Amino acid sequence: MPPLSASIHQLVALLVPATRNDDTLRDDLVAHATDILSSHIGQSNSTDTAHLTSLIRRHLSQSNASPNASLQFTNLNARLQAQPALARKHDALLFLHTLASSSRPQPPSILSPKSPSPLPIPSPLPTPVDPQSTSRSKAAILAEYRARIGKPHVPEHLLLRDALYLLQGISGKHISLHDGNLTFHHDSKYTITAPLKSLLHRLAEVGHLYARVDAFVRSRDVSSSLLPPSSAHPSHNTLTPPQVGMIEQSLAHHLQSQLTQYYRLIAVLESQLNSAPSSSPDQSGLTLKRLDVWINEWRLRMRMMSVCVEGAKGTQGGALVNLIHSYTDNGDPFVRSFTDELLEEVSKPFFLTLHKWLFSGDLYDPYAEFFVSVDPELADPRHAGPLGSFDAVLPMDNEDMSSDARESGLRMWESKYRFRKDMLPMFVDETFGRKIFSTGKSLNFIRYTCHDSDWATTRDRMSSAHQTHARGTLSYTDIPGLERSIDAAYKTASARLFEILIDKFHLTTHLKALKSYLLLGHGDFASQLLDALAPSLGRAASTLYRHNLTATLESALRSTSAADDAGGAGEVLRRLDVRVLPYGQGEVGWDVFTLEYKVDAPADTVLDPESMGAYLKLFSHLWRMKRVESALRDAWMRAARGRRGDWHRIRLAMAEMIHFVRQMTAYCQLEVIECAWIELMEFLNKREGDLDGMIDAHRTYLERMVKKALMLSPKAGREENLLNQVRDAFGTILQFRDAMDSFYNSCLSEAAAIEQEHDLERLRKLVEEYAQTFTEQASGIVHSLQTHPDLDCRFLGIRMSFSDYYRRGK
Amino acid sequence: MSSREPDRITSAQQTLDILYDISQLLNAQLDKETLATCVGMIESGVNAEALAAVILELRREAFSVNKMSNGR
Repeated sequence: MPPLSASIHQLVALLVPATRNDDTLRDDLVAHATDILSSHIGQSNSTDTAHLTSLIRRHLSQSNASPNASLQFTNLNARLQAQPALARKHDALLFLHTLASSSRPQPPSILSPKSPSPLPIPSPLPTPVDPQSTSRSKAAILAEYRARIGKPHVPEHLLLRDALYLLQGISGKHISLHDGNLTFHHDSKYTITAPLKSLLHRLAEVGHLYARVDAFVRSRDVSSSLLPPSSAHPSHNTLTPPQVGMIEQSLAHHLQSQLTQYYRLIAVLESQLNSAPSSSPDQSGLTLKRLDVWINEWRLRMRMMSVCVEGAKGTQGGALVNLIHSYTDNGDPFVRSFTDELLEEVSKPFFLTLHKWLFSGDLYDPYAEFFVSVDPELADPRHAGPLGSFDAVLPMDNEDMSSDARESGLRMWESKYRFRKDMLPMFVDETFGRKIFSTGKSLNFIRYTCHDSDWATTRDRMSSAHQTHARGTLSYTDIPGLERSIDAAYKTASARLFEILIDKFHLTTHLKALKSYLLLGHGDFASQLLDALAPSLGRAASTLYRHNLTATLESALRSTSAADDAGGAGEVLRRLDVRVLPYGQGEVGWDVFTLEYKVDAPADTVLDPESMGAYLKLFSHLWRMKRVESALRDAWMRAARGRRGDWHRIRLAMAEMIHFVRQMTAYCQLEVIECAWIELMEFLNKREGDLDGMIDAHRTYLERMVKKALMLSPKAGREENLLNQVRDAFGTILQFRDAMDSFYNSCLSEAAAIEQEHDLERLRKLVEEYAQTFTEQASGIVHSLQTHPDLDCRFLGIRMSFSDYYRRGK
Repeated sequence: MSSREPDRITSAQQTLDILYDISQLLNAQLDKETLATCVGMIESGVNAEALAAVILELRREAFSVNKMSNGR
């Protein structure tokens, strides 16, 4: 290895031939070279060969026109690396590369004549540029040509600032953005190439979307600051500009925070733009393409946001949550996570409302966004408050008032809150939605209609139960927890409601009393009442006075044993009342008399006026039956004493009637009322379901009784055919009894008045006629009963004609 | 060791050829002799970038000398 100085000498001699004759020059140069070598030039000691080769390759592709130069280099490099001779291959390459790259910026014309350039081709362009420029790319040549004819492309760094403006939806110097239209200013000095234009279009999309989202956020901000949410009902504010719902507000908030991140990105990009010297754009600074890559993720995000904004225009509340939720099923994880995030944020007010509704029964929903809507008329606490609870108990003089007040319980329950299916978020399925709805409704009912003083304890219990399930608040991410809490709240609320209605408001007692008195469940009471009232009821309706009847009722109540097990006579007496229906000409007391049972506010949710009507209907039927029964009983005593002959026939007819009425009564009391009652009691003892369930159970109970006791047929228009037949038969029995009474009296006075012989004959005929009619009617009824769709009714028919008596008669 | 001497020389020659090709490709404007000297220096531990600076400096010098002599 020759010493270093010898090498330097050799180099100097090789490169500067003049030194061969000039020793001083040679010494100077050698000294200079030694200085350079011993200086600190190039102390960077990176030994990354891969990086170096890629640098070289890039250098080749930039400077050399030959397309396979870089391929050739790769080849050579591979061979070089295989050579064992060289210890410092990396340094050798670095040397060559440094030499090659630094020889370029130097004015090449200066040293070209002597250098052994491999490509001594004369320049195709008559420019002062040296021949080396031919090694540049064709694009560069084209750019130079353009520059020469005076229409150069806009340099990218000039467009960059515009692009950043575009990202914020602002027009720039060379490009302007108006209503989503991108226009390029065709400057006489510059043109913009097509690829750049399309790149700018891509960037401008983000800018356009940004402008839309921003406008949305801004509009929401403005209107919400102008109109602070008032506690008034939304319906009162219909004239004001469209309000911003809480869910929309939170959407706007989330979008705002997203936009803040976007601003941050733009700020970073801008600082990069400013820090990079515009003269060397290709090394470290920002380019349009890099900008595009930077912004790529935001493009998708902006699109999502814009879609949400579009959707938010038409919908609100739960429907908006639904809209966003429909994107969570997207296969793209980015879209999914973005939507989840958004949904988490957006559903917050929804869950707040839900929490309040679920655990305190209050609907706080100033913008009508929840899936439960309130009827503003009934929501007024003054209206909903103490109304009904006192009025209904007091004896009422004013019929209108009472019916109005009595309506409230059920109306409160049924129409104060409404379930809106379209507002129900999709992540809560409908059965749960119903449960939530019912829970809140129950709580609200307990609170406002029942005036429950134990309210606080219930709520405490529920909140603590809730705390154990879900930590803190409900949220979108914790759907199973949500469902558990809903279940728990539902159970507690329903149990509480049952407890209150049954224990505090004696619902069972009311039901029992209704059954005992209105449905004549207690025979002794009914007989007492009937016996006491019979004389006065037989008279014309106009002679009836309520106070007389009330007094009779009271005495009947006191004498019966039913009072003992129905919470005391006083309680029942207070509620049980006599009513005289509006009567017409020629009606007797029997037609207009009815009993009435009054219930107060919370209990009348179940015992609503409609079902009271059904009770009255049942009562009138049963009462009529009772009357017929007692009439027959009285008559039997007379008939029993008669001799054979006429009286025997009368007894036969009566026996038939008694059989008919007894079968009817037994059927009504035993098969209809008692069976239905057992089912109702089973439901009440189970204590499951909510108030709606209870109402339904009671309704089913009543409906079943009405349908079976009155033997209604499902055929439209002919429901009461059979009932009318039965009533006619009852009427015939009563007429028969009257006729029999007359006959009896005539018989007694027979001896006194012989001349009335033919009169007696007429009466006998009448009695026989009635008996005949009755038999016909009864067989008609039995016949109808046998084809009745209801199984119980059919059995009644079979029992009535057990010995095929009526079939034989036919 | 001496038996491998001819091998070593041929392999050095090959390496030099490859490097020369690369330098031609890169348009480094070096002739074979200069390249050989430079590679030798690099192998002996001279910093590559400094050496490149030296080469450039010498070229410039040669150019000015040349110009002077031409002008003369």
